[in-house]
Amino acid sequence: MTTVKVVQSVLKANDAVAAVNRQILADHNTLGLNIMSAPGSGKTTLLQKIIPLLEQPCAVLVGDLQTTRDADRLSAATVETVQINTGRGCHLSSTQVADGLATIDLSGIAYLFIENVGNMVCPASHDLGEHLKCVVLSVPEGDDKVAKYPTLFQAADVILLNKIDLMGVLDFSLDRVLEDLSHINTAAPLYRISAKTGEGLSEWVQWLHVQKNSTLQGVAAVE
Amino acid sequence: MRSKFGKETGFTMHEASIAVSLLDQLVDLASENNLRQITRVRVDLGISRLVVPEALELAFAAASQNTVAENALLEMREVGIDARCRSCGFEYPAAVDDYTCPSCGQAKADIIAGNDILLVSLEGERGWI
Repeated sequence: MTTVKVVQSVLKANDAVAAVNRQILADHNTLGLNIMSAPGSGKTTLLQKIIPLLEQPCAVLVGDLQTTRDADRLSAATVETVQINTGRGCHLSSTQVADGLATIDLSGIAYLFIENVGNMVCPASHDLGEHLKCVVLSVPEGDDKVAKYPTLFQAADVILLNKIDLMGVLDFSLDRVLEDLSHINTAAPLYRISAKTGEGLSEWVQWLHVQKNSTLQGVAAVE
Repeated sequence: MRSKFGKETGFTMHEASIAVSLLDQLVDLASENNLRQITRVRVDLGISRLVVPEALELAFAAASQNTVAENALLEMREVGIDARCRSCGFEYPAAVDDYTCPSCGQAKADIIAGNDILLVSLEGERGWI
């Protein structure tokens, strides 16, 4: 019988590829955002709306189990889009993102949005090499989701509350969301938006512009 | 997770990709340490990774078939979350559903422990395969 002491991260392969992805993005002065939410929260509609408002070249990596429907929708908005089908995989991996990045010319791309597989559990714990994690919660999902999926919201750098145009139609307590966030994440700003009506999007655009400068400068300073 | 094993196994949950990563490392370590059979594997599961031990055990059993780690006993220990407050620097144990800093009351936590899955050690039989 032989015992071998190891103490190494089981996820080190994923994390190593993620670190390379992050550096590639920084080298191109591209801010990488990992967009995570439940299915149907409006991630694709949000990207369709926000990208023209950014007024800078953007690219999108879209993860879904099946179909190219999201990529088709985004391509119609003349955005460089790569669809990643994960088959039975419940989240994107850093390797899939690396493969996707290899097919994109990042020169001049200001923002790379990674639209993760719709899932509030698994994507939270997989570093893809993004600079910032963005979590989208939509009003129809209910005001209890922050408490139910705390790990995802804890990891968020920014939280978008989407479909606020439905706030009066559905029983949704913003106070409850804020109360839950008060002991899970008080660092991430929360933007109330409607991707459909455009409400609140300009405020988030401002945040993105600020983050692009501060985050990428921070990365360069570390090097 | 692209892997030597991922394609054939086609798992669905995140425990599956973890099992496959673990197995990749075990196969390499067995080869480096001249083990013909791995009998016991110790793993620390950070609870913030939301790994279901039973699901990981099942995924590992499936992934390790016909490998050097087949039938290895997977010993899992759950590790709690330690946080460092980004506001005041205080370090404290956090719960999965509560990251409030006991010193300043903010929930601006950097997770410093309990956010990883660590392969701690393995046991096996030496010898040529």
